[in-house]
Amino acid sequence: MTIFKSYSLKKKIFLAVRILIVITFLFFFLYPVFWVIQTAFKQRIDMFSLPPQYVFKPVMENFKFIFEKMHVFQWTLNSSIISLGTVVLSLIMGVPAGYAFSRVKFRGKYLLLMFILLTRALPPVIIVLPFRVIMHTIGLFGTRMAVILIDTVYNAAFTAWLMSGIFENIPVDLEEAGIIDGCTPIQAFIRIALPLSKPGLVTSALFAFIFSWNDFLFALSLTSPPTATLPLGMLSTFGMLSVGWTYMAAMGVIAVIPVVVVSLLLQRYYVSGLTFGGVK
Amino acid sequence: MQISGRRTIHLFLLPITVYLIIFFLYPVLFELYISFFDYSLGSPKKFIGIKNYLAMLKDEEFIISLRITSVFVVSAVFCQLTFGLLIAILLNHESRIMNIIRTLILIPTVFTPLVAGLVWKALLHPDLGPVTYYLRQLGINIGRGLTVERSTALFSIVMIDVWEWTPLMVIIILAGLKSLPEEPYEAGRIDGASAWHLFRYITLPLLRPTVVVALLIRTLDALKIFDIIWAITRGGPGTATTVANIRIYDVGLQHLRIGYASSLSNVLLVIGILIGVLFVNVLYSRKYGGIR
Repeated sequence: MTIFKSYSLKKKIFLAVRILIVITFLFFFLYPVFWVIQTAFKQRIDMFSLPPQYVFKPVMENFKFIFEKMHVFQWTLNSSIISLGTVVLSLIMGVPAGYAFSRVKFRGKYLLLMFILLTRALPPVIIVLPFRVIMHTIGLFGTRMAVILIDTVYNAAFTAWLMSGIFENIPVDLEEAGIIDGCTPIQAFIRIALPLSKPGLVTSALFAFIFSWNDFLFALSLTSPPTATLPLGMLSTFGMLSVGWTYMAAMGVIAVIPVVVVSLLLQRYYVSGLTFGGVK
Repeated sequence: MQISGRRTIHLFLLPITVYLIIFFLYPVLFELYISFFDYSLGSPKKFIGIKNYLAMLKDEEFIISLRITSVFVVSAVFCQLTFGLLIAILLNHESRIMNIIRTLILIPTVFTPLVAGLVWKALLHPDLGPVTYYLRQLGINIGRGLTVERSTALFSIVMIDVWEWTPLMVIIILAGLKSLPEEPYEAGRIDGASAWHLFRYITLPLLRPTVVVALLIRTLDALKIFDIIWAITRGGPGTATTVANIRIYDVGLQHLRIGYASSLSNVLLVIGILIGVLFVNVLYSRKYGGIR
């Protein structure tokens, strides 16, 4: 009996130490998040006090200021339009392609899939340069459309790859039965396969959203002031050091909340997309 | 899986193919083409053959930027793998608290990189940053500040990248750990293997394919580093954090020397393609059981 007891006690201590170490790491990962949230509610006077103060009277004036005196509303709108546009266009391009990859064999399939995935591998700086020249030529430079178009290059490819894996796991029999019953292949895809692939659609949409919402380089290179996104706007506030970081923090909270909330709510889908479908 | 007589499905590939040809292949080819010209935005272009490439060989700033890029990528990915493995193994236990931690640890990976950069810039501010304050209180000599000292600026960028992307490593390795079979462990325990031996001779080898995927994903993404550096140092102090991406951006979009910047991009393009092909092959063989 005593042996058993000490064994389980040892196990408990071991687990406690384990949790303690993990929490120490977690502290490192969450401190900046905590800092930006609490700074957003600080007054300027509390801002620069060292040692840092964690007990203070929270105020809303930073949020009031950034919405009244800066173009935060416009930036948020631009970010939203670009993100939603990218989600829609990426799904339109990527989902049918993923379906085709999983359902038909053809020569060059490997090469095409390779080409599609390569888009994901290349540093954005490489493509943004010629892309900007082209946008100048066709008169789209400075528009939100220009950013949507380049964001979609990255996300349509990712969607195609992800969806091909999802459709692989959906048995083909149902669609064949549908075709025997008189569906066209396109109807079989839309009415039978598509509803079954919902988890994949959610993951694809989520990643297209996170990608374009978090994008900075493409927006920096392709937008003009009226079409600037949140990250660009934020960069301009940091220069105002004289007024403190409280406005910057308030904008940071606005910029980060949508992606954090959505991806934590859809955590299952988020995690499955993170591994590129490479770990099963 | 194949359905007979479904040739129409081929048409499903048409939109993405056309799209990528126009918006991906064409820009890349345009870049190859323009790299043989002396071309600045707004002025006429002049064919100069391989002069851009010859100039690159003598462009010390670019060569330095390639070196900084490799130092950054190798050290960031190495730290992420080490901490990622450690944290994943510690977290691999089913309990409510571990589940909560697994969720919270995801937050840095979705944090807008530019925002992360600005927040860390404030935290590490030479005079007013809270983290700077704590480090000084601990008696650590950080000179004028981590981000403004030449010797530590790149280290601070690596640290922030480690902050943002170690959780991704953790999640991928956790997924790999979950998929490990139970039998080898039972056999090992019957043979009286210690916990360390089980880890060293069973977990690590079985985990290898997962680690390879994780390493490749992270290497490719680390090569893309831009936002954090742009937010914090813009490549400085001096050239201490000027990775190739920052250098190319400066030449191409600040100085608008499009032709020369294109030739620099092409070097990076080749590196990206090499690692990318490796990555695609690993993923492809994982998914389709071999390259066809």
